[in-house]
Amino acid sequence: MGRGYIVEESVEKYLTNLSAAAGSCETGLFIGQCSAQRDFVVLAVQTPHRETEGATEGKRTPSSLDSIDVEWVAEHARQVSRMLPGGVSILGLFLIAPPEVSKEAQNTLKKFVFAVDKSLSKNKLWDLSEDDVTERITLHICSKTRKAICRTFDVKDPKCSAKPADWRYQSGISSSWPLITCNVQLDLQIPVTSENVDGSIKDQLRTWAKQIEAALCLINGKAVTDDSELLSGPKKGTKASQQQSFKAQILVSAEDTDASQMSSAVVHECSGSVCVRGTVHCRAYIHTNKPKTRHAAQALKRDVMNTVFSRVEMLLEDLLMSEGDLACGQQDLPRRVFAPIFGSGLSVCDYIFPDESTADVAERFKEMLGFDVSEREMDIGVEAPTCCSVLGVEDGCDEATDNVPMQSSAETVPKKEAAIQYAAGVVVAAAVALLATVTSLLYLTD
Amino acid sequence: MVLTDNNFIFRLKGVLDFSCQFDSFNEAHTRSSISKAFQVLRSRISSESLVFIVCNSPILLWPNKSFHSTLDSLREDTPCRDVQQHIEVEDGARKSSKKRDKKDTGPVVVNLKLLMEVTEAGNSAALSLCRVMKKQRCVTVPLCMDCVIGAGGCDALGSVCAGLVAALHAQLSDMEETLLKYKKETTFPLPQPFHFQLPESDRLLTIIYPAGVSDDQLLSVREELHRKHCLLADRPYFRRSNAFHFPGEPYKDGYLRNPHTHLTAPSIDDAKLYVVRGVYSYHHYMQDRVDDNGWGCAYRSLQTICSWFLQQGYTERSVPTHKQIQQALVDVGDKEPSFVGSRQWIGSIEVQAVLNQLLGVNSKILFVSRGSELTSKGRELANHFQTEGTPIMVGGGVLAHTILGVAWSETSGQIRFLILDPHYTGGEDLQSITDKGWCGWKGPEFWDQNAYYNLCLPQTPKII
Repeated sequence: MGRGYIVEESVEKYLTNLSAAAGSCETGLFIGQCSAQRDFVVLAVQTPHRETEGATEGKRTPSSLDSIDVEWVAEHARQVSRMLPGGVSILGLFLIAPPEVSKEAQNTLKKFVFAVDKSLSKNKLWDLSEDDVTERITLHICSKTRKAICRTFDVKDPKCSAKPADWRYQSGISSSWPLITCNVQLDLQIPVTSENVDGSIKDQLRTWAKQIEAALCLINGKAVTDDSELLSGPKKGTKASQQQSFKAQILVSAEDTDASQMSSAVVHECSGSVCVRGTVHCRAYIHTNKPKTRHAAQALKRDVMNTVFSRVEMLLEDLLMSEGDLACGQQDLPRRVFAPIFGSGLSVCDYIFPDESTADVAERFKEMLGFDVSEREMDIGVEAPTCCSVLGVEDGCDEATDNVPMQSSAETVPKKEAAIQYAAGVVVAAAVALLATVTSLLYLTD
Repeated sequence: MVLTDNNFIFRLKGVLDFSCQFDSFNEAHTRSSISKAFQVLRSRISSESLVFIVCNSPILLWPNKSFHSTLDSLREDTPCRDVQQHIEVEDGARKSSKKRDKKDTGPVVVNLKLLMEVTEAGNSAALSLCRVMKKQRCVTVPLCMDCVIGAGGCDALGSVCAGLVAALHAQLSDMEETLLKYKKETTFPLPQPFHFQLPESDRLLTIIYPAGVSDDQLLSVREELHRKHCLLADRPYFRRSNAFHFPGEPYKDGYLRNPHTHLTAPSIDDAKLYVVRGVYSYHHYMQDRVDDNGWGCAYRSLQTICSWFLQQGYTERSVPTHKQIQQALVDVGDKEPSFVGSRQWIGSIEVQAVLNQLLGVNSKILFVSRGSELTSKGRELANHFQTEGTPIMVGGGVLAHTILGVAWSETSGQIRFLILDPHYTGGEDLQSITDKGWCGWKGPEFWDQNAYYNLCLPQTPKII
């Protein structure tokens, strides 16, 4: 008896529809939550088809296993992982393939699992702990017979073999998962000591992340301990379908281990400094199967680290693509916006650059996660924009309305476009006029 | 702090990272940058984010957030002694502290740790990144804050916390001064706080010393301190090793300190106690993985004496090993080079020579031709402990011992000797050491009545 997976019913429907439509190979990700006992699969998302020179829909789907682009699958996983709140992660992969190649399917899936894991672990400020589950689920579905084979691979062990798993559908599994939130302040002064600005920033973020990891966490005012349970008290009275929400506080202390060993601090030459400052909104969800407070705290802390790292990385990627260097002066990092996953209690997130609109975000949700979010459903108010970025958003809106037809047809790497938009946004000249528009819009919506 | 039961020491520790950027060759700018960076730290400890956690307890306190605490029962006006009942004591520690309750009448130390809350209720400015390009120099110094304040059990918790915040501010200013004074072109020393208990004083004085600068180099600082606190320049008070030892804080080297303080004094009519001043550690057979059973007793007694000089601040030299002691005797020409590494005994005269060679300490030798005569040396011994206060090594015809004090009646001449026996071969178990008399009060019959004895009485140098 292998690892147990509780899978949201809508995932079954999604896979059925997908395999019915697919004449050839399709891949995708499973998203959900790990726990010591079993994993919960909440969502399945198909790997978007990579754009090749203007070919029509459906024609470019890979016809053989070899033609599936592993790097593309891994890149999709990386993009998707940025959109997941704390406690929610990529649990595995599915592969829909014709019966001719079914013999090769397991090996291919194993290759994918490791490629995805490699891609994801590069983008983390934290390391897996002892209790982290390292088994990843794979589902191989025969496109003809619809027969599904469920196996797990242990990403800790490159020589691992496929193990059977217990895959069971259930409805509404995540509808009442408790939500833990907090707003975390950052004020990092980073001296740039090397040639490489990115390196200096990332090093400092790693130091900061260690502090967060080691921090004391309070949930609803109570310190998290090793074995306290998150859900206690009059549990029987409350309806199971109600989502509870918790406020968390994070208390850090600087490391003194280094300090006790050194007698002096060395003065370094630096070419300048980078200051990362502001507040980020963080969220984590946790399953309802007797969750411990320490697991909730861990999920939230990882979200704190991920959301900061993702944003900085997005900015740096943007610059890389536009072949620009990190400019002097202040620039806003993208703000976090949330959107609910239909039929679940969970939200996913995305990041909106000052010059982007909610339409851009909706587009990315569609592209990356394959679902439609109306702008009305989006929660864009969790992080207050600065005055400057209000202008940026509005500016992006205007551009977006112009760009909508083009984007829907040809946007696969949204970041590239975002970079250009961003560059445009920086040189906004009609600030005063736009401010007027914003005010009037705000007035109207009120 | 008066050392009585109902008194408390609140000790707050934590690290604040001082980080500063400044122009390369502009001293004025450097100083103002340093002072600005300290201003940032000051505003941090004045902010609502400042949190104190009481170690081994569920208590968290927000001293600047209109006194917020995680326990409803603890409010601003709660007597600070109430904190104690929430502190979890490890089982083992509790047991032994119960046993020593009679003796340990020192203050209760409540340890706190400094934390910073990084979460906030409000929703302030979004994340932004700001880059400045300017060739500069930068430095990050971890400041290990260590503040103590004394309090009576009835003092309000709110005022204790306010006192600690004020102490943090004061300590930052002291550290700033130290940084400015001792910083070098390429390195900044770590400012380190030390707490000192002055004689006849009921409070602790905290002094910041720059790490990496030796006590010898800080002589002028100590001279100033002696003047300021009207202390005679006859003995060290402000060397690092004079720092106050907090009750309950373990000694890292594993040696027992002052086991004699756990003994009951002998009852002799009219007798007064004259015992060793300050702190020594108990050195005896088989320690440090050296099997010196049968030959090393005088070496161990000498080590105990050296540990006294070290812990009283007279020297920074660590306690010498058997080999180092032997080498010192070769160096002064007392022994042949083949002596090093041997298992030969040494006596009081050798102890005197080594103390002089290694520590620059002179010693008087007191000779008695028979053990029975020691009984009549009450006045000399009492006088020694009053003026010098050092442990005495006693050797001669037979075994070597350490005399830590005497109980002596001037009127009747009755005397008891406080003996520390280096022949103990067991572990550092205070209970069996005191129960079985390895450290204990001995009568005149302790001495071999017919053997001769040499006593080495180390004299304290007049240094600070």
